[in-house]
Amino acid sequence: MSVQEETFLTPVVPLDFTYNYYIGQYLTRYFKGFKEKKILGSRCPGCSKVAVPPRKYCGVCNKVMEEMVELPQEGTLENFTVGHVTMEKGGRLSPAEKPYVLGLIKLDDKASLLLHKVEGVDPSQVKAGMKVKAVWKDQVEGDYWDLDHFEPA
Amino acid sequence: MRNVAIVGIGYTPVFVSKRRDVCIPEMISEAVENAFKNSGLTPADIDAVVFGNMHTFEGLNLPHLWSADFIASLGKPVMRIATGGTTGMSAFHAAYYHIASGLHDVVMVVTYEKHSEGDAQVGLMGIITPEIMAMLAAGIDVTGQKGMGAIGGGSAGGISYQATSYLHHSGAGIEHIDAIAAMERRNASKNPYAHLKDPEATAEKIAQTPLISWPIRFGHVCPTTDGATVCILASEEKAAKIADKAAWVWAVANCASDATTGNLIEGIITDPGEQMPATIAAKKAYERAGIQDPRKEIDYVEIYNGFAHQTLMFLERIGMCEVGEAHKLLEKGELEMSGSLPVNASGGVVSTNAIGTSALNRVTECALQLMGQAGEHQVEKEVHKALAHGWGGLMQYVTITILADKPKKL
Amino acid sequence: MDKKVAIVGFRMKSAPDLVTTRERLTFELTRGLFDDLGIEREDVDTTIFCTNDFLDGRTISNCFLEGPAGCYMRDESKVEMDALNGLMYACMRILSGQYRTAMVVSLALTGYQVSPYLHIEYQLSPIYDRQMRLLNELSAAALQARSYLTRYGYSEELLDAVAVQALSNAAANPYQARRIPGVSKEKVASSSPYYEPLKELHCYPPTDGGCVLLLASAERAKELTDKPVWVLGMGQSIETFYLGERDLFRSPSTVKAAKRAYELAGIKDPKAEVDLAEVSALFAHQEPLLAEALGLLEEGAAESSYQSGDTAVSGKMPINPSGGALGGHPVSATGLIRAAEAVRQLRGEAGENQVGKAEVAVVHGQDGPCAQQNAVVVLGV
Repeated sequence: MSVQEETFLTPVVPLDFTYNYYIGQYLTRYFKGFKEKKILGSRCPGCSKVAVPPRKYCGVCNKVMEEMVELPQEGTLENFTVGHVTMEKGGRLSPAEKPYVLGLIKLDDKASLLLHKVEGVDPSQVKAGMKVKAVWKDQVEGDYWDLDHFEPA
Repeated sequence: MRNVAIVGIGYTPVFVSKRRDVCIPEMISEAVENAFKNSGLTPADIDAVVFGNMHTFEGLNLPHLWSADFIASLGKPVMRIATGGTTGMSAFHAAYYHIASGLHDVVMVVTYEKHSEGDAQVGLMGIITPEIMAMLAAGIDVTGQKGMGAIGGGSAGGISYQATSYLHHSGAGIEHIDAIAAMERRNASKNPYAHLKDPEATAEKIAQTPLISWPIRFGHVCPTTDGATVCILASEEKAAKIADKAAWVWAVANCASDATTGNLIEGIITDPGEQMPATIAAKKAYERAGIQDPRKEIDYVEIYNGFAHQTLMFLERIGMCEVGEAHKLLEKGELEMSGSLPVNASGGVVSTNAIGTSALNRVTECALQLMGQAGEHQVEKEVHKALAHGWGGLMQYVTITILADKPKKL
Repeated sequence: MDKKVAIVGFRMKSAPDLVTTRERLTFELTRGLFDDLGIEREDVDTTIFCTNDFLDGRTISNCFLEGPAGCYMRDESKVEMDALNGLMYACMRILSGQYRTAMVVSLALTGYQVSPYLHIEYQLSPIYDRQMRLLNELSAAALQARSYLTRYGYSEELLDAVAVQALSNAAANPYQARRIPGVSKEKVASSSPYYEPLKELHCYPPTDGGCVLLLASAERAKELTDKPVWVLGMGQSIETFYLGERDLFRSPSTVKAAKRAYELAGIKDPKAEVDLAEVSALFAHQEPLLAEALGLLEEGAAESSYQSGDTAVSGKMPINPSGGALGGHPVSATGLIRAAEAVRQLRGEAGENQVGKAEVAVVHGQDGPCAQQNAVVVLGV
């Protein structure tokens, strides 16, 4: 059985819903730390891993990570990618104005890797193993982008 | 076929409008912790997890991925089920088949909804929005015959047609909807996990709430709730080791109609009050459970009633009474916790609606009644067999679960 | 699992833009399957849908597919994941003894109508990653690719080699969406850079497509087909959501899923006993990474395996002879398409892409950023 070729109307239907997320107890503590330019994580009482940003559960140990610990502001670039595209809202790709670096940064041997922008270095010169340090906004407000980026230490 | 039992139930400590204190996975983890406490099991005992909610309500795609670390699931199979309002019971059925197939022994069902983070009516409108938008874009009259019966907004708009149909065919009046709503709010006041509670609720009080779209009043409509429910199922061999008391699955069944039910199909209006899938699913469930006469054999029923008239309507559709009889049973007090056919002692969905959990709560509430663990809302009569009903999709999908206080003879 | 459940038939279709609606595609595929098998909708005891509401742009999107799929007033449910999980649920339902046949229906119009990248975007944490907007499907995959290459000291040319093999296979497969005649390493290497080291042709293409598949109990299967393909084993597993806590160069959840699937299938030495694999590798690096996790390639030997042609259609361990997901990825249907491609191989119907000996095949499906969750099914004749 065959289906006849037809043309269809293809109207664009944006579904823009608004959501209000509660960030919960642990991320709230993270952003409180930002107000003092501190990077906080939560430590698992089982495996002593530190989650950055902090969260309630260590899924491996099924334990609540109540203890908050402060992490150093300097760390190692463990892994990175250079972006040549940006993804806009709606998942559309467009070429980036200039290449930019995203890095997974290890602040402590026990800490999870933190994904952040790495600036102040030519993307072609970035190497895994580089030492990087946190750069804060001058005015910190306890918000996502207080910790602005990392740069070579 | 293997026998499957419910061996553990966990709710979030409260079901309320807004849980501002926790993020989504944090809230879910509370119910998981309670299920482990309730069953005495540990994460290591769980073979697999089934997860369900209605994800557009929170704007989260496959939320089990984000929640994986919070639900004791790492290193285990996790299956995500989504069938709209029935999701909780569809997830329960999936867990049942995990065990009945012989592939797993202990399976945990995790369901939640955190309505406060999105807009449920917007989420529900999302069911039909693309059509409406497409029709507007194409210049088609959306208020005409292809308006999909949804004009009026969300599910309350469509549901008034259903309630009207029910009243017409049963001979009941709007006062009966008021009365059943009042009964459920009173019942809810005895259930610590209910949301809208009013120990003093009366039909007269409900009748004073404003009309939304005749005959649906504000007092007939479910709230939007934040909450999570977890249920642990086990095979017969494992259940004997885990639990002193268990509720046993005797049958699961479901049926889907067409999404256009309740709308105009080629000039003929199909009746949103007909709910043929409920009748078909119930019949299949009775057959599978070996039930000859449900009215005699089923002691307790939990109906998925997002809107109060549905308690009465679905009792008729699933054959628990004749058409036109449900409101008379209500008048005689038979549907009360002290009656001969107690229904929704939990307060039903009309009192508590965290959608992902709502159809699962029908099952867990039946289980609590069977195990005699419902506390203040334990019904007076002895419960040996109970039926849980779920309703969802686009008003066209029904799930049924029949539970009993002892294993089925295979 | 012995020979208790069989795949008795399938239909699938993919293209960059199918110019169709979901309802129409569903009808075309399911009606086609019924005609192939000489059955009617009453012969399907239960239907499992695997579609995604976000990509379909509507809540409970399967409601609108029930009519076209023939399950009006019948039994159905929905697994909102990669459809290989739907296949596993369908098997469970048959194994329970409640049903004799079960159909899995999966499709997505992520070619023209909606961006496939939304799928992962909405999976990310709305209270962190989606606020930061650093992570997306491609940047996450790039970090995984880098982690994998670095771990084993591979050069970026490995990605080109994997992509060339996959895209060459895809070019010869009429079911694939992305078919580039005469694809070469140069062409792959010169495609647009996305996130280093990934380039356009290392990544799956936006695809419209779908797949339906009918499973049956052993008894019923014999009535429906002379060429049943048996489901011998299946497994699934999930790992942590947090990329910063994962060893991205390996896939422990695939290892776990495969272990369970092999146990059920009675396979002790996958390298010797498995004849081919159909792996849902959405990015070039994932193909060797997942093949290692499935126990089919030696860890750290990806470069030599791809250079020597071991993984090619004619090789000793063909990986994705169909061309895999680099040839087409209708999100959600991809795992089921892998199963259907394995069925073509096992029945000896894969045409130009037919591998030599094809008695046991491993099929893989994934969900989540960097394949957080993985499903594995073993099929055999």
